Amino acid sequence: MTDSLRTWARRYGALIRAGWMVDVQYRAAIVIWLILGVAQPAITLAVWWSVAGGGDVGGFGQADFARYFFAVMLIDQATLAWDVWYIDRWIREGELNFRLARPMNPLHEAIADNIAYKGKSVVLIALVWFLIAVFWPAVRLPFEPGRLGLAALATVLAAAIRFLTSYVNGLLAFWTTRATAIAELQWGISLFLAGRIAPLSLLPPAVASVAGVLWFPYMIAFPVEILTGTLTDTGAILRGFGWQLFWLAAWAVAYHFVWTRGRRRYGAVGG
Amino acid sequence: MTGGASIVAEGLSKTYRVKVRQAGLAGALGAIFRPRYREVRAVEDVSFRIEPGEIVGFLGPNGAGKTTTIKILTGLLYPTSGRAEVAGFDPWRGGAPFKRRIALVLGNKQQLIWDLPPEETLLLNRAIYGLSDAEYRRAREELVDSLDIGGILDKPVRQLSQGERMRCELAAALLHRPELLFLDEPTLGLDLGAQEAIRAFVREYNRRHGATVLLTSHYMADVTALAPRVLIINRGRLLYDGGLAELADRIAPIKRLELVLEREVDRADLERFGTVTVLEDHKATLEVPRRDVARASARLLAALPVADLSITDPPIEEVIARAFAGEATEGEVNGTGADREAADARAGTEAAGGHAGDPSGVDGAPSPATPAPPREEVE
Repeated sequence: MTDSLRTWARRYGALIRAGWMVDVQYRAAIVIWLILGVAQPAITLAVWWSVAGGGDVGGFGQADFARYFFAVMLIDQATLAWDVWYIDRWIREGELNFRLARPMNPLHEAIADNIAYKGKSVVLIALVWFLIAVFWPAVRLPFEPGRLGLAALATVLAAAIRFLTSYVNGLLAFWTTRATAIAELQWGISLFLAGRIAPLSLLPPAVASVAGVLWFPYMIAFPVEILTGTLTDTGAILRGFGWQLFWLAAWAVAYHFVWTRGRRRYGAVGG
Repeated sequence: MTGGASIVAEGLSKTYRVKVRQAGLAGALGAIFRPRYREVRAVEDVSFRIEPGEIVGFLGPNGAGKTTTIKILTGLLYPTSGRAEVAGFDPWRGGAPFKRRIALVLGNKQQLIWDLPPEETLLLNRAIYGLSDAEYRRAREELVDSLDIGGILDKPVRQLSQGERMRCELAAALLHRPELLFLDEPTLGLDLGAQEAIRAFVREYNRRHGATVLLTSHYMADVTALAPRVLIINRGRLLYDGGLAELADRIAPIKRLELVLEREVDRADLERFGTVTVLEDHKATLEVPRRDVARASARLLAALPVADLSITDPPIEEVIARAFAGEATEGEVNGTGADREAADARAGTEAAGGHAGDPSGVDGAPSPATPAPPREEVE
C-alpha cells in the first residue's frame, strides 16, 4: 500500500510543526547558532574589505566582497545541515530504534526538520540584509527576477546536496564511532573549496579546478555567484546545474548504499 | 506459513562481531594496528510460536538475548540466520504495512518529544500512521480514558513523572491500534502503583482488542500478573517455553512446609521430614519433594508439636533463578569456556543499552553470576 500525497503532506506538516515548536523552546540557543553562523562570513568580509582597500583583488572591489559575503551568510544558513550530529546520536544511543519501528523512513523526519529550521533562518537573514541594504548601497543586489529564480533553484539543490552529505556521514556511525570527526574534516575542506573563505576565482587555478569537479562549490559558491551576478555566462550556469544534479544523484546513491548496508549491520544497542 | 500464529521464530540467530580492546596504552595502540575481533552470539537457534491474543512473558538476565530477539521480530535487526514471521510478514522486509500492525515500546528509550507536551507526539503519530480524524478521535479517547492521562497531555514531557511518561508513551505507541505489542521493560524504574497501572492497561488492551503481547520485564510481578506462558532465555538460548506453573514443577519440583511450632525443636528432628531452610525460635520452613508432601505433612503433624502448617510453592523468582543457575552449572561442568566468554561479551553489549541498572536479571532473585563486561565495542 502506497501512502497518498495527502498522507505525506500531513506528515511533513506535522513534522515541521513539531520542529518549530521545539525550536521555540530553544530560541536562545538558535539565536546563538545563527550569530555564530553569520560571524564567520562577516569576519572574512572584514578581512577582504581591508585587503581590497580602495582598489580590487582579482576583480573584486570592496562592494563586490560585501555582496559576496552577505550572500554567503544567506546561502550558508539556507543550506546548513547538522544532521550528522543527530544521526550519529540516533545510532549510537539507540534513538533510531523507535524510528525504525514506525511506518516512515527516518530520513523524512530529518528533511522536515531542515525545512523547519531553514524556513525561519533564511527569512530572518534576508530581512536583516534588506534592512542593511536600505542604508548601505554596497550590499544591494540588482532586482532581476530571473536571476533570483535561478539562485533559488541552485540554493534548493545545494541544500539537498549538503543535507545528504551530512546525513550519509551520520550513517557512518553504523561502522565507526568517528562519524562526526569525518564530517568535521569535510567542513574544514569546505571552508576553502566551497567558497567560504574567498570567492573561488581567487583560489590558485589548480585548487579551483580540483574544487570544480567536487561537490563543495555546488553547496555554497555556485548559488552565491548566481545571486550576486558574478556568474552570468549561460554555459557556465548550465554546467553548474549539471554538476549539482550529478552530485545530488551521487550522494543519493551513496545514501541508499550506506543505509541498506548499515541497517544490516546495525547492533541496535540502547534498548 | 504461520498456520494462523501471530509470531513464529524458527532457528533465529544473531551474531555480532565485537572488537576486543586490551587494557592500557600498549593495548590501545596495538588495537589500532592489529585490531582483534571476536564473534558474539547474542541469540542462538531460538524457535517458538505465539498464537493470536496470547500474552507471553520473555524472561532472562541482562544480555540474555531478549531485546535482540524482540528487535529481530520488529524488523530492527537483521537475523544472521533463521526465519521470523510476524503477523504474516517477514519483519525485515515488511515495510510500512508491517509497521502499522505492530507497536514497539522501549522502557528506556521513549519516542515522546521531550520538550513538548505528549499531545504533540500523539498528533505527530496521527500523521505518521495516516489516521483519519475519526480514527484518531476514537483511539485517543479510548487511550486517554484507560490510561487516565487526560490531565497531563498538555504538560511538557520533561515535567512528567516516569509513570506518567510511560502511560503517555503507551498512548503514543498504540494510537494506531496495533494487533501486536512488543513491550520491552515497560515498567522499568516505575513505582508499584505505576507498575500496576501499566499492567492493568496491558491486560485491558489485550482483552478489548485481542492483541498479542510479548513482554520482557525484570519484574516478576509483571509476568505473573499478565503472562500465563513464559519464554526463558539465557546466553542467547531458549531454556524454557511453557506455563509458569509447569516451570515450577520442572525446575523446582518441591513444596514448602511453613511451620509454627508450640515449642522449640531440634533441627535433627525436622530434617527427618525434609530439607530445613529456615529455623528460628518456633518457626521453621522445610522443602519437601512434591510427591511426598501429603505423607510428610501427616508424619510431621503426628510426630511434632505443630501449631500451624501451611504448604506453599517456592516464589517464582527463585524458580527462575534456579533455572539460570542450573544452566550456568551445566555450562561450567561441560567446560564451555567460550560460551561463558560470549555471554560476558553480550552483557557488555546490551548493558550499554540501559539495562545496567539491575544486574541481577530478575528482581528479588539471587543473582546469576554476571561478571564485569570486558571493554569492547561493537564494530
